Amino acid sequence: MSSETVQRKLISTRPTRGWFERNRSAIIRHGVINFFLLIIVLPLAWVLMMSVKSLPDAMRGNFWPRKFDFTRYSYVFHKIETLPINLFNSIYVTAGTVLLTTLCAVLAGYALVHLRPRGGGLLVAALLVSLYFPTRVVSIISVYEIQSMLGLINSTTGLILPYITLNLAISILIMRSVFQLVPHEVIEAAKVDGAGPWRTLLTIALPMARNGLVVVFIVNFVTAWGEFLLCTTLTNDQAARTMPVVLAGAQGGLGQWSWPNLAAVYVIVVLPGIIAFTFAQKLFFKGMMEGVVKG
Amino acid sequence: MVDTLQSAPIVASGRTAGTRTRQRRSVDWKSEWRRNMGTWLFLLPALIFFIGYQVYPIFRVLWISFTDYQFLTNEPVKWVGFDNYISAMRDPLMWSSLWRAALFTLMFLPGTIVLPLLLAILVDRVKNPRLATLYRVILIIPAVIPSTLVFVLWKWMYNFQSGPINHFLVDTTGLFTIQNAPQWLGGTALTLPSIAVMEVWWGLGYHTIFFLAGLAAISKDLPEAARIDGANEWSVFWHITLPLLAPIMMILVVLRFGSAMAVIDEYLIFGGFNRASPTYTWTMFMYEQAFKIGLWRQGFAAAIGMIGAVAMMCVMVLLLRIFRPKG
Repeated sequence: MSSETVQRKLISTRPTRGWFERNRSAIIRHGVINFFLLIIVLPLAWVLMMSVKSLPDAMRGNFWPRKFDFTRYSYVFHKIETLPINLFNSIYVTAGTVLLTTLCAVLAGYALVHLRPRGGGLLVAALLVSLYFPTRVVSIISVYEIQSMLGLINSTTGLILPYITLNLAISILIMRSVFQLVPHEVIEAAKVDGAGPWRTLLTIALPMARNGLVVVFIVNFVTAWGEFLLCTTLTNDQAARTMPVVLAGAQGGLGQWSWPNLAAVYVIVVLPGIIAFTFAQKLFFKGMMEGVVKG
Repeated sequence: MVDTLQSAPIVASGRTAGTRTRQRRSVDWKSEWRRNMGTWLFLLPALIFFIGYQVYPIFRVLWISFTDYQFLTNEPVKWVGFDNYISAMRDPLMWSSLWRAALFTLMFLPGTIVLPLLLAILVDRVKNPRLATLYRVILIIPAVIPSTLVFVLWKWMYNFQSGPINHFLVDTTGLFTIQNAPQWLGGTALTLPSIAVMEVWWGLGYHTIFFLAGLAAISKDLPEAARIDGANEWSVFWHITLPLLAPIMMILVVLRFGSAMAVIDEYLIFGGFNRASPTYTWTMFMYEQAFKIGLWRQGFAAAIGMIGAVAMMCVMVLLLRIFRPKG
């Protein structure tokens, strides 16, 4: 392609080559990219279309329905009894997990970089090792034991505790590498001005770590919203479970769990994340560069 | 506080936060101690959860694996030494289930590294800023779909009767008939590859973004200079871009190896506890032994979990050694 770029520059004065010839490599490039983007989008588009199909169209299976039916969305809320409960469980557990994990990660990340505790290096090493060890799977036996000891089996609130640890290590490491970008001199200057460590964190360091915060938020949201293993293991009551877990157990068929209804529930569950992300994507990409790649 | 004022910031570069050279002073050990206590207060919430729900459970499971422990029984727990490990190693299911996990990893890993790498190199060359942003946003969408919802989506996609893939193969193109249409999930030979395709789809955009960040960090001068010297695009990629991306690739290979070997949610959703199914890996073996009413053998399950975890950790250490950047 490079020699071609050079050639292109030499030849471009010659009008004999057509538009296609000149842009061939760019066209192939965009073609390949768009092919992959199509593969990414197609399954999602299929669900979205399914959720607005009339029942016979859903059976027929064509992508574009002959008759649209937008009533699914209100139907599933009114007719599937546990749906509002499960949806509330999801929101509740996810909010709790995201807030608490972020709090832990911000405090720990800040302390590791700017307060420099004894043994901090050891903690970082332990966090890194926990990323490579299949902790989530192997520890489930003991987590079940802990939860039943605390009387938290079948408790939706109880799920928050193990959920926090799912991304705790990576969240702390992200916040740590983001706080490393805050110059130590700035922190020292705040100290000289008489600000304690808490105030320094809240008013000076945290605003500078905004992008990393967004990444931690999104990563924890996605994990908590879609968690399956812990939720199925630690609860067995449909009403205590989160929406995605109920959806995973639902068999597509007729009645209230007919395919378009399932698809409508799916869209309701998946959309908040995508919308939230679309708004935060600029901060997210910046935070990714700062926290994940350099960390 | 006065102490910190004088000791100039040593951590300018950041990375050395944990390993800074410590200045020893005989005078201020008391205030030093107090400072450390205040610091650990910041770490306390994270430590409670990290130790309570990650460090302790691992050691607890290690202990359980040497006993005949069972949930919710009043009988005293007996130490059985290596009995659980010996009976696990003698069980052919242990080895076949480990092999299945390895097989899945072999199907999944190349695709999830190579495809995003190629895609990243293509997207990196898109010069139009708006288009570049749009591509990135679409690419990352699957990464913000929570895990279970990805599995549910593909469970529908692969559905034998009403899934769109079989609809495309049977009704639209007529390549198959209802009788011989492929059964993607449900314990056939196609199941593991199907799940691997789903996982590659899920990670495609995220890994591409990962590589794009790596490419952005590479200076454009070096490839440009090589091009002027007459290197073709392929050798620029092979001799300059790829070695510079190697550290990022290493992280991805090792992390994804780890997650692929320890997959369980997908198998629970797609496979169930059918021991003949290719989705019955060591994680499922462990889970079934621990949680299925009637089996309820937590000690044995803990041993299975430990064997599986140690086996995959060994390979991961090996991978880290192989991929360690030279020099």
